[in-house]
Amino acid sequence: MKERSVSGIVFDISNQLFMMLILAVMVIPFVYIVSYSLSSPNMLKGGLVLMPSGFTMDSFKWAFEHPAVLTGAFVSIARSVLGPAIMLFITSMAAYVVSRTDLLGVKFFRKYFIFTLYFSSGIIPMYLLMGYLQLKGTFLIYIIPGALSVFNMVLIKTYIEALPKELSEAAVVDGANDIKLFFSVIFPICTPVFAAVVLFDVVNQWNSFMDVQIYNTMYPELHSLQYVLYNMLNQFSTVEQLKGAGERQMGAITPQTFKMAITVITILPIACVYPFLQKYFIKGLLIGSIKG
Amino acid sequence: MGNTIVQVRKSKLVTTLVKQRYLFLMLLPAIVLVFLFSYIPLAGWIIAFVNYRPGIGFSSLQWTGLQQFTNFFAKSNDYIYLLRNTLAMNIGSLITNLVTAFIFALLINEIRVRIFGKLIQTVTFFPFFISWVIIYSFSSSLFATSAGAINETLVGWGIVEEGFNFLGDPKYAWVFMIALGAWKYLGYNSVIFISSIASISNEYYEAAEIDGANRFQRAWYITIPSMIPTLIVLLILNSGWILNSNFEQFYLFTNPTNWERMEVLDIYIYKYGLQLLNFPYATAVGIMKTFVSLILIIAVNSISKKATGRAIF
Repeated sequence: MKERSVSGIVFDISNQLFMMLILAVMVIPFVYIVSYSLSSPNMLKGGLVLMPSGFTMDSFKWAFEHPAVLTGAFVSIARSVLGPAIMLFITSMAAYVVSRTDLLGVKFFRKYFIFTLYFSSGIIPMYLLMGYLQLKGTFLIYIIPGALSVFNMVLIKTYIEALPKELSEAAVVDGANDIKLFFSVIFPICTPVFAAVVLFDVVNQWNSFMDVQIYNTMYPELHSLQYVLYNMLNQFSTVEQLKGAGERQMGAITPQTFKMAITVITILPIACVYPFLQKYFIKGLLIGSIKG
Repeated sequence: MGNTIVQVRKSKLVTTLVKQRYLFLMLLPAIVLVFLFSYIPLAGWIIAFVNYRPGIGFSSLQWTGLQQFTNFFAKSNDYIYLLRNTLAMNIGSLITNLVTAFIFALLINEIRVRIFGKLIQTVTFFPFFISWVIIYSFSSSLFATSAGAINETLVGWGIVEEGFNFLGDPKYAWVFMIALGAWKYLGYNSVIFISSIASISNEYYEAAEIDGANRFQRAWYITIPSMIPTLIVLLILNSGWILNSNFEQFYLFTNPTNWERMEVLDIYIYKYGLQLLNFPYATAVGIMKTFVSLILIIAVNSISKKATGRAIF
């Protein structure tokens, strides 16, 4: 048992109280929106709502019947699944190739990729390019420009370089070509770093809002859930507007409970993958920082 | 004789190429994508030097030289408030984020109940993964002047007569943006500090205990000095990005009432380019931003190399 001085005990107590305060500041916004979205509007008295009053799921029923929310959810799920899968395929292959020091011109290729981390063209040339490539107004604009992530490539390359060389040597003796060597030997043992980059990409795809705003505002069928939420936050301020937007009356809800319900729906998937995110992402972050 | 050497070299090159054909095949998609989406747009910088307008033919393009660049500095005074806002909020955020994460990591290390420490880390890391749209949604329901929960509570308790207009009043803009960033990034930023504390060898603490050092002395003489290099590296390396703002954050929170304190370079470029369709001007401002950023990054990188022996390139 260690010595416990008076000042130590005082410090421990105030430190724990301070941490409780931080915990409250972090958690209250989430508790508030969840409670608010589950409350009946006529029971709400104003101020901070930390428990649902007059529990009802009406606003969620409403939200799930709203066509824009359904389309948004579909677009968001599609891009969060396809985007990271294609990104991993292309980025991991490239990372493996530039990790091979025997590759002809490997130094040039490394510089070719790294350069783009520090030099970006900015928003206007990118916007015009998307127009010329006819990617504007298509779903592909969410997938193709991000199919190679140089940052992730560096993370994966760092991981591959730390693997024992004997693994690939054994496969070469067996007569495997480079593609087979990568997919059957290297790829399976890179799971930790792949998990980190894929999960991070899933979150980025799910959270993306600006690409919709810049390129696809005119195409409602391509609006992501984040964008639908943004529209709702700015549009509906009265119940009449909600009805005017083709909603039928369903139980007691207000624009505010409706907005809160969509906010909760938008957070839920992130909350579901969060345990994995925390586990793998911290590892990925530390790989990156060691290199950096 | 010389000819044969060249031939041998050539055939060696060809043999290597043939041998590595699968490698090049695997690299090809990445090369094409980077060329298409990173290098071709750089060629688009030419727009800043001609009178480009949407729909104009290439034949009627005229060279305008540096006119757009001088417009930004000579004809308008916009750069004054833009740089003021961008630097104030970015420097404010950089210092706030690092200092809060530093102190937070130090305090969390002193929590003796391990499961409580883990819980706090888990909870504080979560906001890093939620989008700015969600934070915007939180903010409008919590901080709105009359209907926001925080203001309602403050007015209800009689602490203030009228709610604070956090979302609209320019005088709160900087503090509000920095605070939201600190809330979102606290857990993320503290990860590196917590791992740097974890890497301190236990021997130091044991030796200090034998010498009779108490907890505060151990923190002051061992933990804090071991964290300082990490703090300096992060401070130096992050200051290279000081002109880049989080686009989504400022897009969502800038509005007609608070714009004079909120508008940052990135939003200005977006406004002039994609809303007012003045492509040459917006591109010119973007080019200047990129170059100043690059100079900053190279400068801080060499400072970091000299000061701490660590650098990004």
